[in-house]
Amino acid sequence: MSDLAIGGYTAAAPAAMRVAEDYNMEVVKKFTIAAMFWAIVAFLLGVVLALQLAFPIFNLGFEYTAFGRLRPVHTSAAVFAFGGSALFATSFYVVQRTCHARLFGGETFANFIFWGYQFFIVMAALSYVMGFSQSQEYAEPEWHLDLFLTIVWVSYAIAFMGTIFKRQEPHIYVANWFFLAFILTVAVLHLGNNVALPVSFFEAKSYSIYSGVQNALVQWWYGHNAVGFFLTAGFLGMVYYFIPKQANRPVYSYRLSVVHFWSLIFMYIWAGPHHLHYTALPDWAQTLGMVFSIILWMPSWGGMINGLMTLSGAWDKLRTDPGLRFSVTAVGFYGMSTFEGPMMSIKEVNGLAHYTDWVVGHVHSGALGWVAFISFGAIYYMVPILWRRAGLYSAKLAAWHFWIATLGIVLYITSMWVAGIMQGLMWRAYDKFGFLQYSFVESVNAMHPYYVIRMLGGVLFLTGGLIMVFNLIMTVRSAATELRPARGAAVVGA
Amino acid sequence: MHEQTGDFVVGLLVFVLGLVGLVMASGALDDGMYVFGLSLAGFAVVFDLGIVKRHFDRIDAARATAEISGGGHV
Repeated sequence: MSDLAIGGYTAAAPAAMRVAEDYNMEVVKKFTIAAMFWAIVAFLLGVVLALQLAFPIFNLGFEYTAFGRLRPVHTSAAVFAFGGSALFATSFYVVQRTCHARLFGGETFANFIFWGYQFFIVMAALSYVMGFSQSQEYAEPEWHLDLFLTIVWVSYAIAFMGTIFKRQEPHIYVANWFFLAFILTVAVLHLGNNVALPVSFFEAKSYSIYSGVQNALVQWWYGHNAVGFFLTAGFLGMVYYFIPKQANRPVYSYRLSVVHFWSLIFMYIWAGPHHLHYTALPDWAQTLGMVFSIILWMPSWGGMINGLMTLSGAWDKLRTDPGLRFSVTAVGFYGMSTFEGPMMSIKEVNGLAHYTDWVVGHVHSGALGWVAFISFGAIYYMVPILWRRAGLYSAKLAAWHFWIATLGIVLYITSMWVAGIMQGLMWRAYDKFGFLQYSFVESVNAMHPYYVIRMLGGVLFLTGGLIMVFNLIMTVRSAATELRPARGAAVVGA
Repeated sequence: MHEQTGDFVVGLLVFVLGLVGLVMASGALDDGMYVFGLSLAGFAVVFDLGIVKRHFDRIDAARATAEISGGGHV
């Protein structure tokens, strides 16, 4: 057995050496850079919006800077720009390496996927700021942008599936199953929810073919599964590749990964109606959504258990590998969010939580703790390999990033828990004569200190993100991280 | 897929998208469509110029490699 050095990492090579594949890592690099750029944009906009909620004067009196227009820019930047770019980067990285095949479609095709997706993001953000929107959460882009995204997304699916079809490995590794579910289901969701009739070919305005409560049901079928497949299945793909790699351990239970994959895929698609409790949606449909949400506990925690147990015998690595620390904490937040979500879908709990800031806190424990942290873990792992560096520029800076960001999340979610529950209680409080005890504006006023704390949490998270960007730029540029191949070792394509 | 075939197919697709963008911008009834149409046309021009540039970069790289390895013309 000889040693094979790949980037900064070494592994024992099999006796019959495979010829090193010429992977397309340029597109992975581009998406990684885009993910870091959009992360900062999304976090910065989040801080601005939190500032506006605490101090409305920061709306500045312009329609372009008003909360209503900037809010979808923030959510799209976080979910689709940052999260999406991280998913593109990691899925292209993982599928090539685990299939031992170069990305299908060639360099230009991959470039079209990258630049097309970035063009879509910029155009969508610009349209929100200009006041164009379908007014459907996470599906704000108008019809022409939806069509453009469809072309890019189909190209993505062709590149990913084409790579799987021409794989050199007989087995399709489980991470690819999760990425594939994410790609295919998001395509179906996007097409299903955005069926709309444009007013004119020359006008950025359309009307959904669904109306009234049907529109609400289809929108939240889309919206919840955007969470389930974009923000969960895709990122679970990251868990199943990067945690075993970082811990240098096999997946705890491959059987559990397959069982929890199929159960997750089957359950998630039914849970959307829990967003419409106590609305015009038929009661049975609301209850159906609630029941499937509660059942979802099981497959969600299957993933969490599998991710955490993969660390068995390698927990000591948490002290030395800051990337792994992010990944494992992300799995912890995943477990917490997927406990909280089903709990909030129970009608009695939802009666208190719905429309309050508790929901905002829940979303951010998932977005910051799960989605962002698992992406940070993967990016810290990939960057030294992609740019052929010996390692990270500073493990200490990565540790600072971890603790500052974690503190930011704690401030954010605890303030929103308190604010949300207080809101819910104030809205339902009656005095001895049977009148509402508080006016709505009194509940708004009571939120002020928590909104300031939330903003401070956001500032900490943004600060951590800036530290990460500095650390990674230095990783790529600093002479201190230059790779010096060991004598006799072969350095093959990263 | 052969690299040059891929260049041609993707380049043609983007070219068509750019034309559609110009048509959208030319008849636009609101700012949203006008900005999108013009941007799509600009995107197509820049992207296709990038394909042309990479094509000649590849030829230059092959020529340089041939000169280093044995001399003579490619």
